[in-house]
Amino acid sequence: MEYLLQQSMNALSLGGEYALLALGLAIVFSVMGLVNFAHGDMITFGGYAMFLVAAGMGIANPALLLPVGVLSVVLFAMFLEKVAFKPVRGAPPTTGMLTAFGVSILIQNVALIFVGTRAKSVPTMDFLISNVTIGSVRIPVVQILETAVTVIAIALLVVFLRRTTIGMAMRAAARDVSTVRLMGVRADRVIATAFAISGFLAGLATVFVLARRGAVDPFMGFTPVLKAFVAAVIGGFGSLPGAVIGGLVLGVAEVMMQVVLPESMAGFRDAFIFTAVGVLLLVRPQGILGERPDFGEKS
Amino acid sequence: MMIERRALVGAVVLGLCIAVAGLLVWGFAAPYHQRLFFTFLVNLIAVVGLQVFMGNSDITHFGHVGFMGISAYVTAILATPVAVKRSALATAPFGVNTFELSPLVAVLFAILITLAVAFLVGLMMVRQAGIAATIATVAFLVIVHVVVMNWVDLTRGPRAFYGIPPKATIGWAVATAFGAIVLARAFRDSRWGLQLRASSEDVAAASAVGVPIRKLRFAAWMLSAFIMAVAGALFTLFVGTISPKSFYFDLTFLTIAMLILGGMHSVTGAVVGCVIVTAGVETMRFLESGPVFAGAKLPEMFGLTGFFLGLVIVLSMAFRPSGLLGSDEIDDIWHRRRLRKAGVEVS
Repeated sequence: MEYLLQQSMNALSLGGEYALLALGLAIVFSVMGLVNFAHGDMITFGGYAMFLVAAGMGIANPALLLPVGVLSVVLFAMFLEKVAFKPVRGAPPTTGMLTAFGVSILIQNVALIFVGTRAKSVPTMDFLISNVTIGSVRIPVVQILETAVTVIAIALLVVFLRRTTIGMAMRAAARDVSTVRLMGVRADRVIATAFAISGFLAGLATVFVLARRGAVDPFMGFTPVLKAFVAAVIGGFGSLPGAVIGGLVLGVAEVMMQVVLPESMAGFRDAFIFTAVGVLLLVRPQGILGERPDFGEKS
Repeated sequence: MMIERRALVGAVVLGLCIAVAGLLVWGFAAPYHQRLFFTFLVNLIAVVGLQVFMGNSDITHFGHVGFMGISAYVTAILATPVAVKRSALATAPFGVNTFELSPLVAVLFAILITLAVAFLVGLMMVRQAGIAATIATVAFLVIVHVVVMNWVDLTRGPRAFYGIPPKATIGWAVATAFGAIVLARAFRDSRWGLQLRASSEDVAAASAVGVPIRKLRFAAWMLSAFIMAVAGALFTLFVGTISPKSFYFDLTFLTIAMLILGGMHSVTGAVVGCVIVTAGVETMRFLESGPVFAGAKLPEMFGLTGFFLGLVIVLSMAFRPSGLLGSDEIDDIWHRRRLRKAGVEVS
């Protein structure tokens, strides 16, 4: 029972992390059709921002680093949109995706040139890495916080998308951008907001990723975002509820694999999971909530 | 498959350019440059293989290097002498350390196994819409990498696999590159290639006129995997030592940048991109090591090569999304020039 509780906490927090990232991907995709391969490098950027502020400005209090992490990612996401993705707005999806892919390589290598390959440590708050004991179950604080923050962030996002004008414009833009523009909504604002939200969600994830790892290196964003991509595909690419469901499914699957697999096979975990996803997609190509891919034939 | 004579001539001319370069390198170049040229040829074959799928179906493919990796490792496992394997793969399963095959037979097996894997992955791939398919290709590359890294008994895991007989020669590589170019052109300009390219521009229209989109996509996928398998086997039999890192993101970035710069819809573009990016990467490697330039010692800049590749991709996409050559092949360019000389208006 305790073991079960511990593992489900594991699964929830991991799934939450994937959901945050997958949501960020899905929001940008739904509004402007961009598959943002540079999403992971936004995490890396946030990590380096925290590291530089901690090391360069001598801020020892890790509590002050948390807003730095989130805010820097938001600003960086909006910066990328203006500099890199504006020129390819309206281009075919392949062009946007490859641009993002190139941007991702650029960011990684800039970090490599100026900061180096070695991981840099970032101070974390002590209470984040401590444990809470409930009854006889020890649960890391970071897991509880991560789950809670994910739930709150998703709730806020739902309210934002349903209650505010810009939120409604974003939902409408996901359906038909040109009509939204005809209604007098500025596409620039909608897209900038989408990137800001995507950056905010990634920023939250950054804080937790760093609390777990305690260090930042140029390639740290790759694995979490690959998982987020897979989560988004599981849920149905471009669907927001799908992103959340996909993230949770993936988190649960990973933790289950960890429990089931013998130690000698543990290294194969991701291979098993991705293969399972492949089989799922064979049966249901559109993912859990996605729309059927169109091959122009009768179904 | 019927293809136009003009396309065939174009492919052969392109292949002959490579062959002439090969003869010159074989005859006159220093060993270091011979190695460089061989690597260039392997990359060229890989880029042409990538073009077959990406250029015709318009689905971005990040998993092509995975096929190279599978083929490379199968070749290595089968062709390495028993004497080496007895110590290097002491605990190998399936008794692979008790026999050795001649390199040619090993390559045949490698191609067959790679094609079998491509078949299974392809079943899933052709059912996906473009973006999900692309992400699936990334996941495929990661699967291959994870398996090679963790199946230590069979692949030595992250450690180098050594002792593979270095039987491949420049001549073989040139012949293979020639073959890959002709094959890619033959597919691209065949009826199937044309239909597939049409379907990538307008799915509904293509399927309305009866194009079997999934079948053709599958065919392109398998042909691409075949060419990648040959590239992987060739590479292994030349360098003699491989590791999982040889077939991961570095090579993916490199080949993608080459194809995009040249223009992914054109085989000629693939070759042109390969030439330019190879020259650029070699320059960057030189600068990266911190050379002495005009009396001043430049700083070491590890990461410059990657930076260059990223820049190539981003700038291509911003300024010339269809690449240097767009959809033009070498013979299209001649043809237009001839028409223009004859006084015909061409757009």
